[in-house]
Amino acid sequence: MTRNPTDLPPFVRSWPQLYAIVIGSLVVEMLLFYGLMRWLS
Amino acid sequence: MSVLDWGVLVLTLVGIITYGIVRSRGSRSMNDYLLAGHSLPWYHVGLSVMATQASAITFLSAPGQGFTDGMRFVQFYFGLPLAMVVLSVTFVPIFHKLKIFTAYEFLESRFDTRVRTLTAGLFLLQRGLSTGLSIYAPSIILSTILGWNIYLTNLIMGGIVLAYTVTGGTKAISYTHLQQMAIVTFAMALAGYLTVKLLPDGIGFVDALHVAGKAGRMNLIDLKFDPNSRYNIWSGLIGGFFLQLSYFGTDQSQVGRYLTGETIGQSRLGLLMNGLLKVPMQFLILLVGVLVFVFYQFNPSPIFFNKQETDRLKQSAYASDYQLAEIKHQNLTAQRQRAVLDMQAALQADDQSGQEAAGTRIRETDEALKGVKSDVTKLIKKANPTADTNDVNYVFLRFVLDYLPHGLIGLLIAVIFVASMGSIASAYNSLASSTVVDVYKRLIRPDGDDMFYVRASRWVTIGWGVFCIVVAQFANQFGSMIEAVNILGSLFYGVILGVFVVAFYVKSIDGKATFWGAIIAEILVILSWYFDLTAFLWLNAIGCLLVVGIAWILQRAWGR
Repeated sequence: MTRNPTDLPPFVRSWPQLYAIVIGSLVVEMLLFYGLMRWLS
Repeated sequence: MSVLDWGVLVLTLVGIITYGIVRSRGSRSMNDYLLAGHSLPWYHVGLSVMATQASAITFLSAPGQGFTDGMRFVQFYFGLPLAMVVLSVTFVPIFHKLKIFTAYEFLESRFDTRVRTLTAGLFLLQRGLSTGLSIYAPSIILSTILGWNIYLTNLIMGGIVLAYTVTGGTKAISYTHLQQMAIVTFAMALAGYLTVKLLPDGIGFVDALHVAGKAGRMNLIDLKFDPNSRYNIWSGLIGGFFLQLSYFGTDQSQVGRYLTGETIGQSRLGLLMNGLLKVPMQFLILLVGVLVFVFYQFNPSPIFFNKQETDRLKQSAYASDYQLAEIKHQNLTAQRQRAVLDMQAALQADDQSGQEAAGTRIRETDEALKGVKSDVTKLIKKANPTADTNDVNYVFLRFVLDYLPHGLIGLLIAVIFVASMGSIASAYNSLASSTVVDVYKRLIRPDGDDMFYVRASRWVTIGWGVFCIVVAQFANQFGSMIEAVNILGSLFYGVILGVFVVAFYVKSIDGKATFWGAIIAEILVILSWYFDLTAFLWLNAIGCLLVVGIAWILQRAWGR
């Protein structure tokens, strides 16, 4: 039950890459929220 | 509620309870009963983790927060994706490899029995109390709609969850979580869509967002660093990170969910799925509340959304004061409506100065309306000192009952029930796991066979159910329920996390220093909260750092 490459989604090559996708999504969301707030204020 | 609403509500609840009981067959060992035999795929793990966190409180208080305070509460969840990554790297592989039932078992292998027992005890106290709040949340709905006695309603709510949690194990809970998340997502999306449809002709979704923005409700990001501000990007990223890491890493109600993963990878994927979906989900729930706010800019809104309390006030000695407040409220509402229509016209004409002027009028009337509400709240308290004046929890419910179509009302009431059942079921299960594994089996009766402990777990589940129902009877003494749960968590989670951080990362500190470090840190955290020294979100970070710091100093002082 150690790292099993088959557990990764098909489009991801490694766990660090998947972690980067999760953190990157948060950054994109925060930027979008900031833009939305400035646009609507 | 109509017959159709009752039909939808009863059918949904009976369906889920029956499904849960059917799925409970075949639990013949502790591994089956408490960890679903380590057999579940990533999407089960992910949805189960999300359903456990998203209680009825999420769907009652969050839209109310959006209505009264805008979108800024979303920042509270910014630390969650980061916490999911840290958990996937550190906690998940260690917990899986050790083949443990509870997170606290790990602490005995690293330190000693008393650190394990202390941490399990802090968890049991915190989780037992906050589960009481989770029972109270849907109960206020029933008591408001049907005029039922709140104490009886708490009893029924906590009791029906017990019916399938006791017989069903973790596998049953995880399977019902799948259904619950599907129902919740569908119903909340439909509610948001219909709220936009209810807006006046010519006002679309984007117009609604503009009105909300000008009224200060699209306050998504606050970059200002202020330790006393509850929700800004820093408290969300740093304080929220510590809270979520503590909750998901050390609270058995969550650890018990992702330990059901078939492999380390499946558990990780489930947590990362939560990391990707939680912020957008919370954004959408708050947005429903903001859309309800926009709806009430065009329609008369009640001063107080908890109708039960205003009905009582009308019968009291303060009835004439309330009538005056109502007249003032109606005039202000009409003023606000004119300002919103002017705003709409200025937006269509792309008139910037007109938008600014209308925006200022909207904000001014909004402040005046808050003043009227505050006066009425004082009247309610004068008329009845024990009255429930936390109106945030009633905003969405009142809107649903007054304006959404029959059938959907029943479905949304069912959503609040099933969401509640999901989190309560996980909580009962985790309370039983920790009590049996960390206390009963470890300290009192270590020589039983597997089936003996499965039977013991069922009895202990019943015991915790009774305790949580008793706590629910006093829950109206807390403020906004979603905040009450988070404050309660912040008092204990930071210290528990600190113990785990020492266990994982500071190998030179032993059990004695950690034990006393945790005790001193817990006292200091409770004092910080009692004397209101900082916003509650920071208590997680403070608690965690205090444990590490004090344990390190003690270790050095004792010279071992």
